[in-house]
Amino acid sequence: MAQHTLEVLVENSPGVLARVAGLFSRRAYNIERLTVGPTANPEVSQMDIVVSVEGHALEQVIAQLDKLINVISIKEIKQESAPEVHDTQPDYQN
Amino acid sequence: MSQVTGAQSLVNSLEAAGVDVMFGIPGGAILPAYDPIFDSKIRHILVRHEQGAGHAATGYAQVTGRVGVCIATSGPGATNLVTPLADAAMDSVPMVAITGQVPSLAIGTDAFQEADIRGITMPFAKHNYLITDPADIPRAIAEAFHIASTGRPGPVLVDIAKDALQKMTDFKYPTSVNLKGYQPRLEPNAQAIADAAALITQSSKPIFYVGGGVIKADAHRELLEIANLLGAPVVTTLMARGAFPDSHPLHLGMPGMHGTVAAVTALQKADLLITLGARFDDRVTGKLSTFAQNAKVIHCDVDPAEIHKNRFADVPVIGDLKHTLQALIPELRAALKKHQPDLSEWLRQMNSLKSSYPLGYDQPADGSLSPQYVIERLGKISGPDTIFTSGVGQHQMWAAQFISYENPRTWLNSGGLGTMGYAVPAAMGAKVGAPDTTVWAIDGDGCFQMTNQELVTCALNNIPVKIAIINNESLGMVRQWQTLFYEGRYSNTSLDSKRVPNFPMLAEAMGCVGLSCERPEDVDATIEKAMSINDQPVVVDFRVHRDAMVWPMVAAGTSNDDIMIARETAPDWDSQEL
Repeated sequence: MAQHTLEVLVENSPGVLARVAGLFSRRAYNIERLTVGPTANPEVSQMDIVVSVEGHALEQVIAQLDKLINVISIKEIKQESAPEVHDTQPDYQN
Repeated sequence: MSQVTGAQSLVNSLEAAGVDVMFGIPGGAILPAYDPIFDSKIRHILVRHEQGAGHAATGYAQVTGRVGVCIATSGPGATNLVTPLADAAMDSVPMVAITGQVPSLAIGTDAFQEADIRGITMPFAKHNYLITDPADIPRAIAEAFHIASTGRPGPVLVDIAKDALQKMTDFKYPTSVNLKGYQPRLEPNAQAIADAAALITQSSKPIFYVGGGVIKADAHRELLEIANLLGAPVVTTLMARGAFPDSHPLHLGMPGMHGTVAAVTALQKADLLITLGARFDDRVTGKLSTFAQNAKVIHCDVDPAEIHKNRFADVPVIGDLKHTLQALIPELRAALKKHQPDLSEWLRQMNSLKSSYPLGYDQPADGSLSPQYVIERLGKISGPDTIFTSGVGQHQMWAAQFISYENPRTWLNSGGLGTMGYAVPAAMGAKVGAPDTTVWAIDGDGCFQMTNQELVTCALNNIPVKIAIINNESLGMVRQWQTLFYEGRYSNTSLDSKRVPNFPMLAEAMGCVGLSCERPEDVDATIEKAMSINDQPVVVDFRVHRDAMVWPMVAAGTSNDDIMIARETAPDWDSQEL
């Protein structure tokens, strides 16, 4: 399965790590790596999440993550290319 | 600004959010809130179990379209709300639950009546809060109501530490809510609407696959308009019964595990599913890889995460369904002027199935009472303005099948979670939300024994609901599966007796009128007697035949193509030109 790196900005509020980790657990998505750190804005934290999924499953992961109220934005970091930005309303139009 | 307690701030916030009724039970941690509740204009209905409060809030919400509110204390009070919260999440019901929490300094110490309800509800609540600072209460309440009622509706829990309720604070209710991570998209993409209209005109076998989202979005009028415009058949899922009139000639009925042959087959044979607020649930699709294999999919939903979740969508349309249909109707009308597909052969085939395989049942050979007959008569006598609620099991499926629903918000059941015991408390909430409407709960004898305590609440609070117990002295649906799949080995599905408990006596003990009926010839008179009593809750014990089964049936995990109309009986496909 392909690995994808997601850069997720979240509100720096209690329980947000549990929300994200719990989502991956209950939807049976595999987390390869997860790091959490501060950003320049003290109200916002950054999570870098590496997941192993194929095809539309990645869109599902992103869409489900986006449903978490504390998740502000999600960016997929692509190797050797510009990051693909998934804003909080991912657009699936063809 | 004068200072108030956090508790007063909570009650002021609930009033500011427009709450007129809430269902709950006090206890230690929430006790400070109950003092200002005593003086509030909000009607508080004291239930007998917190689960009843939760389902009542759901019933109220589904009937009124407003946010249902329940309130409980910490620990067991809060954990008793878990089932209704999960239920509301699965069926997208707007609901706010307020719970007391142990004092903030005691959190994490395994204090008396401490439970991490925020952690417990995290997997399914749309969002939740743990408030330890009274200054945060108004914002949390405003956000909770906003989140619960917008986008895809759902349950939000606000857990408030006892000391936050006791401390003094300034009350200022926010005039607007701005959540960086929550901006539901309501307006559909114009290109998606154009693509959808184009795909529809290219289709020769389109079908409207209608889910509960149509009712949530109040889009039933738009649905009627677009269905008439295109002239394509319509199926309404268990959550969508009432979204489209059952009497409409384009309506093929309910699809799914116990759907009509016409509805199930139409989805299988269609070349286009116009999916409106439905989510390709396994009870509708059967074995997913064999579901509607030749169909393209237009998927209209307010929740982007439903797109491609179970089924790839050729044209996803994300947005509020009312807005979506309001945009799609003129687009489709214009497209149809250029190219009007001929759907007559498709309609002829589906109408042939509809007339060849209507829903039906056999009367028991021994002259005893048929459960389907009871439910059918209830629907006929009480009429299409009645609100029906149900529990979960055979009686639920029969109530979905044999009652004709003409209006939205008249059929309430636990579709996603399948919560036995839903009917009585949901009926209570529905009756509070629609006091001038007749509310019938169709319940099983197994379900009724889980939540009937709320009839005491109904009797004492002038909430005259009517309960029809379909008493087959069994956990009927499980028994049906044992009949079909476990060689009739009825392990723990017999409730053993139609006489214990004595339901009419139990009803009378709870302050209700108790009636019973066990002969087909008495059914109409008994229903009419129950209909004539409007100052007290009424419970009718219909003692029915035990071996009746729900048909048609698509066995779990099998293909919709393998639908059976009776035991070991498939439709006569050779006689149908499909």
